[in-house]
Amino acid sequence: MNDRTRKEYLAGIVGRYVRGEIGRRSFLRTAGRLGLGAGALGLAGRPLGRALFPAARAAEEALQPSAEVLKWVADASKPFAGTTLRLATESTPPSNAINSQLKPFFEKASGMTVEIEVLPLEQVLQKLTLDVASNLGTYDLYYIDQSWAASFYRDVFDPREQIQAKPDLAMPNYDIDDFLPALVDGICKYEDRWVGVPYDIPIFIMMYRKDIYDKMGFKPPATLDEYYTQAKAITDEMGPSMYGATGQMKSGHYSLECDWTAWLWGHGGSIFNADRKFTGNDEQGLAAMDYWSKLWKTMPPGVTGWTWDGEGQSIAQGVAATMMSWGEFFPSFDDPDASKVSGLVEPVRCPKPTALRTVEQTGFGEIPGVGHQGGSSLAVSQYSKNPDAAWIFMQWATCADTQALITTLGGGTGPTRSSVYDDPRVKANARVGAGTTRHLDVVRATIEHDMGSEPDLPQWAELSNDTIPVQLGRYFAGEYGSAKEALDDIAEKADAVVNG
Amino acid sequence: MSGAPAVAGRQDEGAFARPARGRAVSDHPLPWLLPLVLILLAFTVYPLFYNIYLSFHEYAPFKRALVWVGTENWTRLFADGRLWDSLGVTLVYFVVALAIEVALGMAIALLLDADEPGFGFLRGVLTLTLVIPPAITGMMFLLMEDPQFGILSYVLKLFGLLDSTTPILATPSLALAGVVLADVWQWTPFMVLIFLAGLRALPVEPYEAAMIDGASPLQTFTRLTLPMMGKVIAVAVLIRGIDLFRVFDYVYVMTSGGPGTATYSLSLYAWQQTFSFVKWGYGATISLFSLVIVLVVANLFIYLAKVRW
Repeated sequence: MNDRTRKEYLAGIVGRYVRGEIGRRSFLRTAGRLGLGAGALGLAGRPLGRALFPAARAAEEALQPSAEVLKWVADASKPFAGTTLRLATESTPPSNAINSQLKPFFEKASGMTVEIEVLPLEQVLQKLTLDVASNLGTYDLYYIDQSWAASFYRDVFDPREQIQAKPDLAMPNYDIDDFLPALVDGICKYEDRWVGVPYDIPIFIMMYRKDIYDKMGFKPPATLDEYYTQAKAITDEMGPSMYGATGQMKSGHYSLECDWTAWLWGHGGSIFNADRKFTGNDEQGLAAMDYWSKLWKTMPPGVTGWTWDGEGQSIAQGVAATMMSWGEFFPSFDDPDASKVSGLVEPVRCPKPTALRTVEQTGFGEIPGVGHQGGSSLAVSQYSKNPDAAWIFMQWATCADTQALITTLGGGTGPTRSSVYDDPRVKANARVGAGTTRHLDVVRATIEHDMGSEPDLPQWAELSNDTIPVQLGRYFAGEYGSAKEALDDIAEKADAVVNG
Repeated sequence: MSGAPAVAGRQDEGAFARPARGRAVSDHPLPWLLPLVLILLAFTVYPLFYNIYLSFHEYAPFKRALVWVGTENWTRLFADGRLWDSLGVTLVYFVVALAIEVALGMAIALLLDADEPGFGFLRGVLTLTLVIPPAITGMMFLLMEDPQFGILSYVLKLFGLLDSTTPILATPSLALAGVVLADVWQWTPFMVLIFLAGLRALPVEPYEAAMIDGASPLQTFTRLTLPMMGKVIAVAVLIRGIDLFRVFDYVYVMTSGGPGTATYSLSLYAWQQTFSFVKWGYGATISLFSLVIVLVVANLFIYLAKVRW
């Protein structure tokens, strides 16, 4: 049995053991035949899981970082031993997996210390802004939300230039072209500069309750109109114990803006036109609002108070049958400890948009698409006192091997590299259960074909966190006479913000 | 000669009053106050003056620096409709929450002002809500008021007080009440404890006289308890009022200021401008504006209520 087959087989039996399909004795016997010693079965990886789930330790044994990669880290890091690197990041699956599980491998190999501050997104922005304003270089690496690329593109190194400038520090087989091109365009490219490399990719996919769809005689919808018709039929038939759709529509919250863009783009609209004027209130924008208003009636009454947490819970608790939302929810739906619908939810690509604008028809680099993405990039700060050491860490954190480990250990988060989707360790986790990766083919197809990206402009934080979601919230609270009145108000305010 | 002993005595007295320890342990107040003064300077006075400095500047993202804007932030303040809306929300929140907490706090304090068995335990239990971080309380009420999963919504629906499709926190006419409820739940016990302490310290003689004169319980309360508790109530109102004016946690966690701007408080607005939009100058200006309002109102109240420290 070669190493790859052994790992796949091991991941398989670990999954079966965790699901209770095989007993402990059988698991130990098989694991032993695969070369896992009894010592491997003592403590497991996650803090609470260690003692409770010995199987998880076995999975980790099989999911060690590549020795080749660690050797490169050790060799390249020799001049930097003793250096401390700092990163401020949002609580995302990659950052959490690195911080809690993978960092020790890097630190041991490199002799460096990595301090990762996990903060709410607003605080990350605040810290980066202070760092940039002061030129202090407090943080060696910047976590950059896709909407901040325009604000920080001058403050970080372009990784392509780093590879060329320091060939001795370039990781062999790092393969910067392996990052999915759509993500490079949508997340980290600003005016032909790379603002770091794509680091994580939450993206809208469709998730639906197959049991309910089967019962209703439905197939996954091909169009947005069909999506609405099915949602309405489910609510009419099964409400109020089951609703056809759900949402993240809390007034004044960024999540409401995310939902809006999916419907707007899906109806052939865009936030800005090529003249950089707000166009969410044009004919397509109004059609999208009309659609959304109807769809809202098929959702649980709480949606106008929910962000992504409430939306995800509505599926996990068996209250809603479908959602077009963040694909990174999916592994939690499959987790029997966290969800009432484990194994019942299926992922598919979002329904086809009614119409779609081209990038050229929009402004500020906006990319229309029903698969709204909220990704981020990782970059080395221009103000870092240890840019070379930080560059080594960055390459390690974003290389294919580490991404495969993040995806597998970090709970099924979507990789940003093409090759990782085909990694046998990732494929082996494509089964029902916690941390599943069985949605990742849909995630990849969505990135490649359906992805929508918000515009890049420094005022976007204000527009997406306040101007748009506050007025949309007022609309859904009945404070406007019509959708047109609401959108015209947003247009006026948005143009005022953009024009300073 | 006559003066010599006196001088000597004074010298002796001086030597007794200021022994050798004078070098190590000073009687002068300055060294003792210095650490506190330094802490105040570092964490109160400096930020205040820095805020004033910031209010005449604004962060320019393109220049990566603060730039002088003169009085622009202050003039903008008075033309900013959102700011006045959020001030209005804050004042309504302040008045409603304070009135309920004072009335309810006094009522509970009067009920608990007895040495019945178990009352000591009840008084102890009252402190429990105070140790919960307000953000956690906000999360609790967010869940309890959820129309789908919330127990509070369920009970209200059960009694026909809430429509099954009405989300409390997403309905403009109910959202602020939903947030006030969390505040009242958490902070009424604080008022109870202060009022209880005041009630326990009241003299018994006036009550005995009132009883002999045949005063009703209401008359006893309005003509004896309330006047005698005046100072205690004033202090409680002052402390709680200042806190209520700064409301942030509950609003941030429960409604994000929504629906629309129905629960947008002044503190949330200042925070948003400063941290979400990186408008440090304007955020500082809003904070200073808020501080001025609190200082004026608090001092006016101290003057009118004749509170003496």
